[in-house]
Amino acid sequence: MKITSSCVQRVSKVGPLGLPEACHRTRLASLIVALGCGVVSVASESLEVTDDLEVSGFVRVIGGYLNSDDNSVDGYRDGISLHQQSLIAIQPTYHVTDQLSGTVQWLGHSGSGRESGIEWAYLTYDLDDQWQIKAGKLRMPFFYYSDSIDVGYSYPWISPPMQLYNNKLFPTFEGGNVSYSSSFGSYSLRLEGLYGYYNNDYVMIGGTRLDAEAHFDDMYGFNLNLGRGNYNLRLAYHTGFSQTSLGFLKPLKTALEQAGFSESAETLAATGPMSVYSVGLNYENFSGFMRGEWVRTVTELDFSPTQTSYYLMAGKYVGDWTLHLTFACAENTRTRPSDELQPFVEDPTINPGLAQLAAGYYYTYDRIPTGGLNSVTLGTRWDFRANMALKLDVSYLKETSPYSGFFISRDADAQQNADTQTGTLYQVGWEWVF
Amino acid sequence: MMTFLIFLTSRMPVRRCGGLALLLASVLLAPVASADGTLLVIANLGADQKITLSREQVRNLFMGIPVGESLTPVVLTADNKARAGFNTRVIGMAEARIQSYWAQMKFTGRKTPPAEFRSEAELIEFVQKTPGSIGYVSASTKLPDNLQVVYEDAR
Repeated sequence: MKITSSCVQRVSKVGPLGLPEACHRTRLASLIVALGCGVVSVASESLEVTDDLEVSGFVRVIGGYLNSDDNSVDGYRDGISLHQQSLIAIQPTYHVTDQLSGTVQWLGHSGSGRESGIEWAYLTYDLDDQWQIKAGKLRMPFFYYSDSIDVGYSYPWISPPMQLYNNKLFPTFEGGNVSYSSSFGSYSLRLEGLYGYYNNDYVMIGGTRLDAEAHFDDMYGFNLNLGRGNYNLRLAYHTGFSQTSLGFLKPLKTALEQAGFSESAETLAATGPMSVYSVGLNYENFSGFMRGEWVRTVTELDFSPTQTSYYLMAGKYVGDWTLHLTFACAENTRTRPSDELQPFVEDPTINPGLAQLAAGYYYTYDRIPTGGLNSVTLGTRWDFRANMALKLDVSYLKETSPYSGFFISRDADAQQNADTQTGTLYQVGWEWVF
Repeated sequence: MMTFLIFLTSRMPVRRCGGLALLLASVLLAPVASADGTLLVIANLGADQKITLSREQVRNLFMGIPVGESLTPVVLTADNKARAGFNTRVIGMAEARIQSYWAQMKFTGRKTPPAEFRSEAELIEFVQKTPGSIGYVSASTKLPDNLQVVYEDAR
């Protein structure tokens, strides 16, 4: 029974335009480097092509090396990789009137877990300076940096804590967003509400991109940003109804249904409500900052456990330099598989055919990514000129249980052991916005 | 600030994470540096409209948060001394941090950063011509009659 071997493998192997991925990567990497070299002397502000059309964008060149036994994390291995997180984005905005504008963001990405294409496409209507309505393909604002996750220049690390930012189920949605911002006395406030849906061919669980027929309907949520002086509090709640079929579970689920084990088949179904709660707190002054974010994901899906993740960070500004230290943690409840097939495992002679099915079921269940990971990151950022920064991050990562999903064994069928699921990730990066 | 840390750490499962979280507490924040010279925040308002803003209101306004008055902020380019003083004393953030804040605002489609002017003279000229605009200059700069000082930061 080989259903399971694809469990933790990444999906996309063909780049956009149908080019083999390796070829696409090389082309994109050269494009990024060429652009990077060509523009250093150019003005750093966004280009106003005409009075109505404005083009801005950003570029990231990120190199990484993972020191870990036979594992990869977020696409990094024990060899220098430049393509996992390097990207280029071009964002034209066309102002139809003073109040109405259309924005598209095209993203060229060379990482194995992502595809290039239109990441944002929306219309914005500014009713006044307080109310704003957006409609189209938008980013899911689960956390503080979720909707600027590709804009490395907007945050201090090279990779925001993957316990939160790589664990997200989906990065975008289609629908609308209403935003209100104002200030009251010494308080500032921004409240945003959204409604929409997500249909796509993958979901992210435990840092792993999984092939899926993903449908999240009736999705709604809000996020509130409250500021006072140097403090900022962010509260967010998002919920939706999942009707998702995970590719690697489908053959097994069908086999279980056909054999009459509906209870076991049901434990592999991804149907039901899903809610994400998050709280973020930030303190910042001229010489440093402290920040924390906490998130809890609750689902009624048997195999997708309730997960709690958070990070705490502190940073210090020294001239053009930022030094920061982050501690991040993700814990989860691992749900139990159905025991209806247990007798066939205990005594395979009852029915050898079903014993094989039962073995496949338990094997697969054990390998569904659950996302338990602890990490410490020490990093530095140097803002060496306007709109550009160089970064260096060193992260020590440790999974809290086997098959958490972050560490991918070189041999997908190898038995994982949490004790060896550790590694040190070294990353350097160049960030540019224009 | 310590309250913030204690609040956060008290909610964490200490078993795995607590010891390291305490390390963060050892990073202490130093006192704020300041640049000299009085700054004036000037606005082009109607002749009969008189307002004064608090430091907090000025900060919010220049960070893209409306304060109830219909005002459009404009700023000086990063090589101006008055901008450095304004960043330090009113916004309370360094230049690079302000730029990264605006990158986030811009690329999430929320707000666009204020228009920039190369010199105080150019900024004053624009504010003078544009009703509802608001900017900052150093106190030594001569102001035209139709501009109103809505906030003064004296050091």
